[in-house]
Amino acid sequence: MFAYAVRRVLATIPVMAIVALFVFSLLYIAPGDPAAVIAGDQATPQDVERIRASLGLDRPFLVRFGEWVWNILNGDMGVSIFTNLPVTTMIQQRIEPTVSLMVLTLCLAVSIAVPMGVIAAWKQGSWIDRAVMGFAVLGFSVPVFVVGYVLAYIFALELDWLPVQGYTKFEEGFFPWLENLILPSIALGGVYIALIARITRATMLEVLQQDYIRTARAKGAGQRNILFLHALKNAAVPIVTVIGIGIALLIGGAVVTESVFAIPGLGRLTVDAILRRDYPVIQGVVLLFSFVYVLVNLVIDLAYTLFDPRIRY
Amino acid sequence: MAEPLLVVENLQTHFRTPDGINRAVDGVSFHVNAGETVAIVGESGCGKSVTSMSILRLIPEPPGKIAGSIRFQGKDLLKLSEPEMRAIRGNEISMIFQEPMTSLNPVLNIGRQIGETLRLHQGLSARDAEAKAVEMLKLVGIPEPGRRVREYPHQLSGGMRQRVMIAIALACNPKLLIADEPTTALDVTIQAQILELMRGLKNTVGAAIVLITHDLGVVAEVAERVVVMYAGKKVEEAPVVELFNTPRHPYTQGLLGSMPKLGSSLTGTETRLAEIPGLVPSLKQKIPGCVFASRCPHATDLCVKVAPALEEKAPRHVAACHYALKEGAIAA
Repeated sequence: MFAYAVRRVLATIPVMAIVALFVFSLLYIAPGDPAAVIAGDQATPQDVERIRASLGLDRPFLVRFGEWVWNILNGDMGVSIFTNLPVTTMIQQRIEPTVSLMVLTLCLAVSIAVPMGVIAAWKQGSWIDRAVMGFAVLGFSVPVFVVGYVLAYIFALELDWLPVQGYTKFEEGFFPWLENLILPSIALGGVYIALIARITRATMLEVLQQDYIRTARAKGAGQRNILFLHALKNAAVPIVTVIGIGIALLIGGAVVTESVFAIPGLGRLTVDAILRRDYPVIQGVVLLFSFVYVLVNLVIDLAYTLFDPRIRY
Repeated sequence: MAEPLLVVENLQTHFRTPDGINRAVDGVSFHVNAGETVAIVGESGCGKSVTSMSILRLIPEPPGKIAGSIRFQGKDLLKLSEPEMRAIRGNEISMIFQEPMTSLNPVLNIGRQIGETLRLHQGLSARDAEAKAVEMLKLVGIPEPGRRVREYPHQLSGGMRQRVMIAIALACNPKLLIADEPTTALDVTIQAQILELMRGLKNTVGAAIVLITHDLGVVAEVAERVVVMYAGKKVEEAPVVELFNTPRHPYTQGLLGSMPKLGSSLTGTETRLAEIPGLVPSLKQKIPGCVFASRCPHATDLCVKVAPALEEKAPRHVAACHYALKEGAIAA
C-alpha cells in the first residue's frame, strides 16, 4: 500500500510535466501579442520590440520553457506582466475564496446528492425517484450563471436573506463567511449534485439486486442499515470516482461563479489574466488547477481501498 | 397435541407482471414440527424458493402478493408489522441461500457479518459480537477462526463461505432454519461436508429445518418428511422412506425415475436415463385440471378437466392424483 502510494506520487511527475508543456505552449501559440497589448495603441513597432525583448518573449521556445520549469521548481512562477507582483503572491492572495467555495460546494453536494441517489434507487419508479431524476436533468442543463443569477435575484434581492455578492474571509467569522458563500455554492453545485445523484442511483439500483442484500434482509437488518451500510459501501467506488472526476467541473464552474458573485478568487484572477494576456499568471493558475486535479484523483485512487477490501495495491 | 412450530396454510404468492398474474405459489399447505427436517422438492420454477422466501416475507410487495396464513409458534407472520417481522428474521427463523459466492457482502468482514445478527437481535456490543463470531466459526468447522473473522468473503472458498452463511444463520439459535438449495453450488465432496455439518448442528442447536432442494440424493440424506411441489402446488407429501419406496404421484415417480444410478453403466444394465417429457406449464393462466396433466403419461380427460384434491393415500402420505392407488404405483 505504501509502496503503491509512493509509486503513484512518482507517476504524477510525468503527468505534470506533460501538463506543464501543454500549458506553456498553449499560450505560446495563442493569438495576440502581450508586448503589443502592454505597449498600447500609440506604440511604434520599435516600442513593441523593446518590450518584447525586456520580457524575454523573443527567445526560443525550449529555452523559455526550460527556464520556466526550473523557476517553478524553485517556487518562482514569474512576475505578472500587469501588476508586477510575483504570480505566487497573487495566487496566495486569491486562493482562500476559491478553496472555500470549492470545499463548501463539495461538502454540500456530496451530502445532498448521495442520500438523494440512494433514496431514488430505493423508491425506484416513485414520485421521489422521478423528482430526483427531474432535478438531475435540470442540474445538467441549466448553466451555472443562470442558476447563480436566479438564486441571487430570489434570495438576495427579493427576499433579502443573503448578500448579493462579495466574500468575507473565514477569519472574520464562520457565519459571515457562510452567508456569502451559500448561494455561490448552490449555483456551482447544481451540475455536480446532478452527476453524483445519478451515478449513486444507478449504482445503488444494481447493488440492491445483489444476493447479499437479500441476505441482509433475511438477517433482520432494517431498511436504513441495508441502504446506507450494506448497499452504499458496495456502491462507493463508482460514486467516489465520479466525485473526483467532478472536481474538474467545479474548477471550471468556479471561474464563472466567482464572476457572477464577484468573489475575488482564482477564477476571477484567471479571467482577468486571460483578458489582459498576462501569460505568467495564466500559466501559474492553470498549472495549479491541474496539479490539484491530479492530486485529488490520486487521493481517490488510494481511498478505494477504504471501501473495497478486494482492491489492494 | 400442541400446534407444530410452523403451519403454512393455503399459501398463495402471486406476482403481478406486465402480461398477467404469475401464480408462483398457489395454495400450498404444510407444517413443520419442532426439530424436524422437512424437504421441499421439485424442479426449477415449481415455486419452492418462493415458498421459502414467503415464510420470511422476503418477497418484494409489490409486485408480489402473499396470501393465506403462515403461523409460526401460533403467530400469523403475514399479519405482523415490518418491525415485528424484522425481529423474527435472522433470530427465530433464519435462512441459508443457494449462492454462497454472492450471498455474503463483499465489503464487510466475516466477523462483522456474523456479528450483525447478534448485535441486532441480542444487543451485543461490537466486541462481544466478534468474540461470539469466532465461536460460531469454530462451531462450523472453519480453521483458524481468530484470523478468519477479520477476513473478507473473497478470501474464502465456496465451501467456507457456505459455512459462514450457516454460522450467520445459527448465531442466534433459531427455532427454524430455512435452507434454500444450500449445497447446489458446491462440489460434491464439499456438499457432503456441508450436509454433515447441517445435520450435526441441527442436533446441537435443535432447530427445525426446511430444506429446499431439487437434489433427491440430498433429500434421502437428511430429510424426515418430503413435500413435492409442482407448478406452484403441493402434489405429494410423505415420510422420506415411504416416498422413496412407494411414490404415489406420477410426477414424484418421474422425479425418482430420472435420478441417475451410480455404476449402472458398469454392470451392463445401461439404460437411457428416464426423463419427464415436456416443460413446466406457464403459471400465468389458471389450469382447470391437474397441473401435471400436460406431461403425465397416465393423464385422462378427467385429469384435464378436474383438479385432483390432496387425499391421504396411506397413513401420513397424501397425493393429488385421481389415479394414485392406495397400494404402490399407478395401475397402468
